[in-house]
Amino acid sequence: MELALDLSPPESKHYRTWSERLSSVARYSQPDEIHAACEMARARGASAVLAVLDPRAETALRALQTWRDLSLWVVVPNMYAFIRDLTDRGLVGAALSRFRRLGPGAMVATGLAALRDLGPLARSDFVAGALWLAQMELAAARGLRIRRVFLHPQLTEIALAGRVLTLFTEFARRARALGLEAGLITHNPVVAAEVLGGEIERFAAVVSPCNAKGYKMVPGREACEAVFRSHPRRFWASEVTAGGAVPLATAVAGVDGLPLGGAVVPEVPPI
Amino acid sequence: MPDPAPLRCAVIGAGRMGMVHGHLLQVYAGTELVGFADPQPGARDRLASQGLKAPVFPSVAALLSAAAPDAVFVCTPTHTHLAVMRECLAARPVHVFMEKPVATSVRDAEAILALARERGVMHAAGYVYAHLPVVEEARRLLAADALGEVLRFSAHGYISEVFGPKSGWFFQRELSGGGVVANMGSHVLFILGWMFGPIARVMATTRSHASAVEDSAQALLWFKGGVTGMLDTSWSMPGAQMLDYGVTIDGRQGTLVLERERILLHLLRAAAGQPSGWSEIPASDLPADTAFDISPHIGGEAFYRQLRVFETACRARVLPFCSLEEALNTQRMIEGIYASAASGQPFEVP
Repeated sequence: MELALDLSPPESKHYRTWSERLSSVARYSQPDEIHAACEMARARGASAVLAVLDPRAETALRALQTWRDLSLWVVVPNMYAFIRDLTDRGLVGAALSRFRRLGPGAMVATGLAALRDLGPLARSDFVAGALWLAQMELAAARGLRIRRVFLHPQLTEIALAGRVLTLFTEFARRARALGLEAGLITHNPVVAAEVLGGEIERFAAVVSPCNAKGYKMVPGREACEAVFRSHPRRFWASEVTAGGAVPLATAVAGVDGLPLGGAVVPEVPPI
Repeated sequence: MPDPAPLRCAVIGAGRMGMVHGHLLQVYAGTELVGFADPQPGARDRLASQGLKAPVFPSVAALLSAAAPDAVFVCTPTHTHLAVMRECLAARPVHVFMEKPVATSVRDAEAILALARERGVMHAAGYVYAHLPVVEEARRLLAADALGEVLRFSAHGYISEVFGPKSGWFFQRELSGGGVVANMGSHVLFILGWMFGPIARVMATTRSHASAVEDSAQALLWFKGGVTGMLDTSWSMPGAQMLDYGVTIDGRQGTLVLERERILLHLLRAAAGQPSGWSEIPASDLPADTAFDISPHIGGEAFYRQLRVFETACRARVLPFCSLEEALNTQRMIEGIYASAASGQPFEVP
């Protein structure tokens, strides 16, 4: 089974204990440590890294890509960082702080895009705002060689609940225009398949919980597995350890019988 | 037997929580989203762009009169809750779900509860973490006497949110009801009150090191049933983008450790279906019964389960465990912590 290393910020993950959380956060607090984790994952056979971009991860991935070709999948926009900025600076302030981080070329490109969408952005339109944020983060990450771009799950779940198909189709279209493959991360794969219909084929990978215990498989294990089977190789398993209840090596083997594209794992088990 | 007609629900306040509840009410089979009330001129376009198509009214009065909901979800800033409650219940009875914290003071929380009782409506408060399967299971084990007589506990509630000056209503005590205690620690306080009953006495210290409200607190809590323990809470703790909570409970017959993804149990004798000695109940062993996960990062199944509990209560006309009565106990703990911290003395809860 193909494996991708989950490089979302350690602060954003769930842990069984507070001390486990502190250990993990401390372990991945420096770019060198993240770089080393990528190296180990690659050595153990991982084919990709799935990352939410923050300064630590970006530095580590730039260093990695100076000499390695591990496929990079990024999740945009970084909603955790954006929501914190939103509280501190308001919507306009949060957006402007991202805009100011861009290089001159990216500023022009994203500025023009914003001008085209000025009306919807001024009305706090969900689709226009989400896409603009995603575009700004991708523009800021131009130095990285990115293969796939995933819409952040917080936006995905809201769009699925509201059945906002245009967010998904436009996200996929813009990714393709940039020469990237589009991806989704969702805890609601059954609803995603229903809302997206045939448009799901625009997404090279959809990451959803899949494990031997049915943990976080909404609305249930059987329904999720039926969707995975009807879209062979498109879905990737997350939450394979069922919240830490199943050892990683067993967990990966446990989902191997399904026609998945692979699994996104917190670390890659030894061969 | 045919399914009953959906419960007609409206949302008051179209901010972040209003949006979350609106989406759930729209996807949940037992409810129908019939409207929003929000005075902001752009609310309708903003909500519609997220797929929330219910009509948006500029006032509570307009919403109630035009949409005639069976229940309302109050998601406005905390200091407005009492006024909104009065307005909601002035014309005709509607069931009320109120986001937490319920009020900025015990006096307001009592007035809100009194209004609900007077009108005979069902009510609930939005302490969503209590609906996580692992928390419900811990409460069930305690209620089943797994630990025997409960003696003491220690608890924490940490999140990484405040590391410098903050602005907005959330960081003004008179509008939000306080800082980390009222707005984050209250989730843990609610769970403690649900487990151990009415609060009797509080001794606490608080500290403001970044914002204008308290950013951390330590509280000793004495419950009327005899349980005592300590809560440590902070929203300036690095490493936790979502609330990280934990409770360790000691009883005469064992110890229960409630964590985010599991319960650890040590029993001196088999009880409540659990063996003697150490055992682990992973969250993955507990049924989640969730049809849509709105926010996986904070445990989205809890939102879905919370809605189901409220809907069931409205239909059966039996108050849920998360009623405003239970939330009043939480409000007493919050106010006790602030009173004790201000006076430097233990605060006896009347």
